[in-house]
Amino acid sequence: MHKYLTKRAFHSFISLAGLLVLVFFLTRLTGDPGNLFLPIDATLEARQEFTVKHGFDQPIYVQFGRYVVDLAQGDLGDSIRKQRPAIDIVLEAIPVTLMLAAVAMSIALVGSIVVGSMAAYRPGGIFDRVASISSLVSASAPDFWVAITAILVFSVTLQWLPTSGMGGPATWIMPICILVIRPFGLLVQVVRGSMITVLSSAYIKTARAKGVKEHAVIFVHALRNAMLPIITVAGDQAAGIANGAVIVETIFGWPGIGKLMIDSIIQRDFAVVQASILVTAIVILSINIVVDITYAILDPRIRHK
Amino acid sequence: MRYLTACLLGTALAITAINPASAASKTVTIVLSEEPDVIDPCESTRSNVGRIVKQNIAETLIEIDPANGNIRPRLATSWKQTDKLTWQFELRKGVKFHDGADFDAAAAVKSINRTLNPTQDCEIRLKFFGNIKVSPKAIGSHTLEVKTDTTQPILPALMSVMAIASPNTQPLKGTRNPVGTGPYKFKSWNPGQDVVIERFDGYWGEKPQADGARYIWRSESAVRAAMVKADEADIAPNIALQDATDKTLDFSYFNSETSRLRIDMEQAPLNDIRVRKALNYAVDLEALRGSIFSKGVMPMTNIVVPSINGHNPSLKPWPYDVKKAKALLAEAKADGVKVDTEILMRGRLGMYPNATEAMEAIHAMLSEAGFNVKLKMVEVASWVDSYTRPFAADRGPVLQQGQHDNNSGDAVFSVFFKYACKGPQSTTCDKQVDDGITAASAATGDERRNLWQEVMRRLHQDIVPDVQMFHMVGFSRINKRLDFTPSISMNSEMQISQVKFK
Repeated sequence: MHKYLTKRAFHSFISLAGLLVLVFFLTRLTGDPGNLFLPIDATLEARQEFTVKHGFDQPIYVQFGRYVVDLAQGDLGDSIRKQRPAIDIVLEAIPVTLMLAAVAMSIALVGSIVVGSMAAYRPGGIFDRVASISSLVSASAPDFWVAITAILVFSVTLQWLPTSGMGGPATWIMPICILVIRPFGLLVQVVRGSMITVLSSAYIKTARAKGVKEHAVIFVHALRNAMLPIITVAGDQAAGIANGAVIVETIFGWPGIGKLMIDSIIQRDFAVVQASILVTAIVILSINIVVDITYAILDPRIRHK
Repeated sequence: MRYLTACLLGTALAITAINPASAASKTVTIVLSEEPDVIDPCESTRSNVGRIVKQNIAETLIEIDPANGNIRPRLATSWKQTDKLTWQFELRKGVKFHDGADFDAAAAVKSINRTLNPTQDCEIRLKFFGNIKVSPKAIGSHTLEVKTDTTQPILPALMSVMAIASPNTQPLKGTRNPVGTGPYKFKSWNPGQDVVIERFDGYWGEKPQADGARYIWRSESAVRAAMVKADEADIAPNIALQDATDKTLDFSYFNSETSRLRIDMEQAPLNDIRVRKALNYAVDLEALRGSIFSKGVMPMTNIVVPSINGHNPSLKPWPYDVKKAKALLAEAKADGVKVDTEILMRGRLGMYPNATEAMEAIHAMLSEAGFNVKLKMVEVASWVDSYTRPFAADRGPVLQQGQHDNNSGDAVFSVFFKYACKGPQSTTCDKQVDDGITAASAATGDERRNLWQEVMRRLHQDIVPDVQMFHMVGFSRINKRLDFTPSISMNSEMQISQVKFK
């Protein structure tokens, strides 16, 4: 396992290095940050002065060399706009997104396993039909529209929940519900499909013939074998949320990494873009490693390979 | 079941514990569209910085009266021009900064020098003092002398943007802990969450009603509007037209913005005045008003709104007349002008509410009049690149969507940049206009106003550098518990001391 993890970490490092090089050059292709930072009425001289001061007048390879040297020393640069170290800004934002992702994915995973398994138990039954239709609706719901509608209904009309903001337990309810909807719908479909296949296997019939209780058949014998595709999709969904729950962060005013990244790209705040992508990439690579380890735990065949 | 009941009860209690409305509180909650990057007085011309800092935390020597655009005293009590290049300001006595430092001429000099220091990228310097060399000097404990390298008859109006910070403010870098002389002092900034200011008991002026203010931010206009409606916020300074649906809460006001399409006069066929006039005749502004734009907008005739010195009220909007537009195009074509050349309409996504729809509608109107136009909506970065000099040599004929904000009291802040031969965003060059700008910039009083009005007349009737659109309105939602009316200055400041409770 150690050897496997070391190899996986090495591959992740190579991917990360490639990503950083790519991001550095792609951000520079977007244009001069001064044109966005400086007021529209700034003189040409002021624009040139800004470009020189921040080193954007240097050839791209010189800028890249400086970036690599600074990075090796742990310096990710300062945000032009916020005039603070970019890494500080990113480290303030990433926990918010990770908290959202952890809570939302836990709820989505547990809920979808229960609902998906029950739906697979009697394919074509009433519960299965209701679960299938609702999960399809849920997987394709436009979260922007759902979020705004939820605010109008639950905050403005009924006044049950705060419209937005990050604080007490009540402020978590709507953002989490909105974040859960899509992965939940998708995972219910995956769990259902996977469980239907597994439940028709010979070893399940044997277990039933031996008198094993139904809930043990479903949640112990069948679920473990059905978990591999579920883990794959769940990992992908978790990585998606960790990459920034942009809609939720934007609408509900949660200062997470997704909104920070989008704002920095729009504003050409290169240092923040690079730091955000570095930290997010580390999180996503870590999730992938966790998914791989989970595969190995669930399926001994993978472990032995 | 017991666990479920306990869970539901806990959730209900948590929800009940929400404190949405602060009916009894005298702290005003303001929901902005974005978090400020820094809250430095030298950045207070940026909307979301100015709404927190300007005249609340840090005051200016002089301020503009939003009702009429005239200047009036604030930290300076009087001022006079002592020679062509020198102004002298008498400063208010007995004023203290929030950190205990005295406000005097030396403090004012230090603050002005900090703002104008080229090592810092302060917006006030970059936006208003890029072409002026300013040398402030204390010539008495409360007498400030300001010398400039060129004649600046409107230096007092320019000083209305110069927010004065404590002499103890860190130099060379933007501050996140602003200290000024205003009626409110900075209390805290919780990144991503809020900025809080509280009343300064040592303020020199009248004691304001509000104990303080809390600034929060939400990007979505619908959410900002909902927050005021749900009593979670008191003021949402900038909401979209489609969210201003409650007549009891929503206020519309001229927000000092003017929308237009800049005509690139350096490129054929737009270098022909008949083509430029035809463009204006082809746009039905009345059809846009009350549909895509608010009913409250006013057809544009000048680049500045009526309350700004230099606005020429005698100019009339271009009437909608497609027949005339077609006739002008035919006449130009007969003289060999290639009126069939494709003209690019470059718009900016989200420039104002319904910006894309507005461009689509105008595109249809111009096409109907016989223009060969192509519409391209771009992101802000791409738009800025093509809006300011240097312009690409191979750009071809372009109509560029623009919106200009001037609430600084005088047309000088607009006309040079937009229409002078060397103006950073000008695609126009006319000697008479340039001479007019030079003369008006150096004049004072009635003569100045008359000279600006003549420049405006020439631009409107003889040059036609724009497809003229509207003087825009903004919408603010104000909580019922407040007695507060938004004004033209809302784009750059929001004085909490003017907020009263019902």
